[in-house]
Amino acid sequence: MTKARRLLGSAWLIALLLACWEAMSRLRILDPLFFPAPSILLQTLEKLTVSGEVGRQVMNTLERTAVGFGVGVICGVAVSVALTLSATLRRASEPLISALYSTPRLTLLPMVMLLVGVNDTARILLVAMGTALLMIIQISDAVRAVNRDFVDMAVNYGAGPLAVIRKVYLPACLPQGFTALRLAFSRALVLTISVELLNCDDGVGSMIWSAWQTFAIEKLYVSIALAGALGLFFQWFFLRLERRLTPWKEQPA
Amino acid sequence: MLACSLRCDALGVTYRSQGGAPVRALAGLDLEVRRGEFVSVIGPSGCGKTTLLHILAGLLEPTSGSFQFFEQDGRNSRTALVFQENSLFPWMSVMENAAFGLEMHGVGKAERERRASRMLERLGLAGRERDYPRQLSTGMKQRVAVVRAFVSQAPVLLMDEPFAALDRQTRMRAQRELVELWESEKKTVVFVTHDVDEALLLSDRIVVLSGSPGTVLAEYRVSMERPREFLLGPDEESYELKRQILASLGLMTSLSRYSVAL
Repeated sequence: MTKARRLLGSAWLIALLLACWEAMSRLRILDPLFFPAPSILLQTLEKLTVSGEVGRQVMNTLERTAVGFGVGVICGVAVSVALTLSATLRRASEPLISALYSTPRLTLLPMVMLLVGVNDTARILLVAMGTALLMIIQISDAVRAVNRDFVDMAVNYGAGPLAVIRKVYLPACLPQGFTALRLAFSRALVLTISVELLNCDDGVGSMIWSAWQTFAIEKLYVSIALAGALGLFFQWFFLRLERRLTPWKEQPA
Repeated sequence: MLACSLRCDALGVTYRSQGGAPVRALAGLDLEVRRGEFVSVIGPSGCGKTTLLHILAGLLEPTSGSFQFFEQDGRNSRTALVFQENSLFPWMSVMENAAFGLEMHGVGKAERERRASRMLERLGLAGRERDYPRQLSTGMKQRVAVVRAFVSQAPVLLMDEPFAALDRQTRMRAQRELVELWESEKKTVVFVTHDVDEALLLSDRIVVLSGSPGTVLAEYRVSMERPREFLLGPDEESYELKRQILASLGLMTSLSRYSVAL
């Protein structure tokens, strides 16, 4: 009952907006050429799904996102560990990381393409860079925030350096680490779709751009909704994972 | 006379403050604690009580002087800490927290859980083993921290105002439990507090430190029998002791005609 009610509580506004859109489009208050009714869009989605285009494009996008995200997380964590261990390295790289972090990632695409060529490697590399930068900033922050008392306590009870990392640093940084993963994945997805929109022949992003250029309005809306749905799904997925893996945290109601 | 457990000789700590000026936290501190003794360290805030505990816990190197433990087992930690707060790891269950010291010294899971649960049960924490610290009251958290210290094989327990954050009623109960545990487990305790009544209630001996740099100002032997219930109504002996201690802390200047035992 409560679950159904909660679902209803977060769905009614969307349902109302869709209903208004449907009505206005059908009554031609909105130009149906620019704003086709949601029911028609649903048919378009079905058609594109059956033809296999939706699955193919979503897979293309997810593949780029996943590889870029994976490489980015691994590099980001590795760099974070190095920065934690070496104060010299940390001081030297801080301005560089801050500068890169404040530059819109997409603007770096031409530079990356000059470096590795106009291909998928460049696109994925950009996604990996975006992921890695976010991970580095978040993890360094989490490590800095670990309470000294916990480290002292563990050392006093006989923990060696490895045990301190495993029993204190890792679990203490885990919650923020998950938040970082969640943010980094949505960042990676946004970046992938943006890159596809800008320069690519396949993927959800290119689907949006080619629909716009060929004035396939229905397809345009469907592909935009797909991009949104992907983002929403993974946001939910990482939140679930986070709650499952950090049971000691107070859960927000 | 009991054997010596630990000894500090002319212990001193000087560190640089943010501005670069050297700060002397401890200077020329001599202290001897016998095995199984309950010693309270009392003094004004900033007198280096916590610094002293950190040195004994092996977390800080003294800049001068030396200290030595006279405990046989070199394989185990010699000391077990209890802080005022942040004693428990939030990501570990009550059981994992309580058995942490044993785990770090390679005691098997079944054995360490058996030992920890026996002690948890004694302090009324049976049934809470799988809970996380956030699910416990402050009093319960501190009890788990005390259990961890007693369950660990360390012969010397170092407690830094462990009950300071508790309400009066909870604190009285925790103090009674601590004395009972200490009497049955025969550990050495160095107990830092700013509460004279608490020190009188618990200790065999009270060491008064002077303010910065911290050094031993006076020592008092507390020979009243346990369990001590004198806080209900002060008897002659504790009253006199308390007056002397307060005087040595400079908190009873008007009564200076009473000599201070140094």
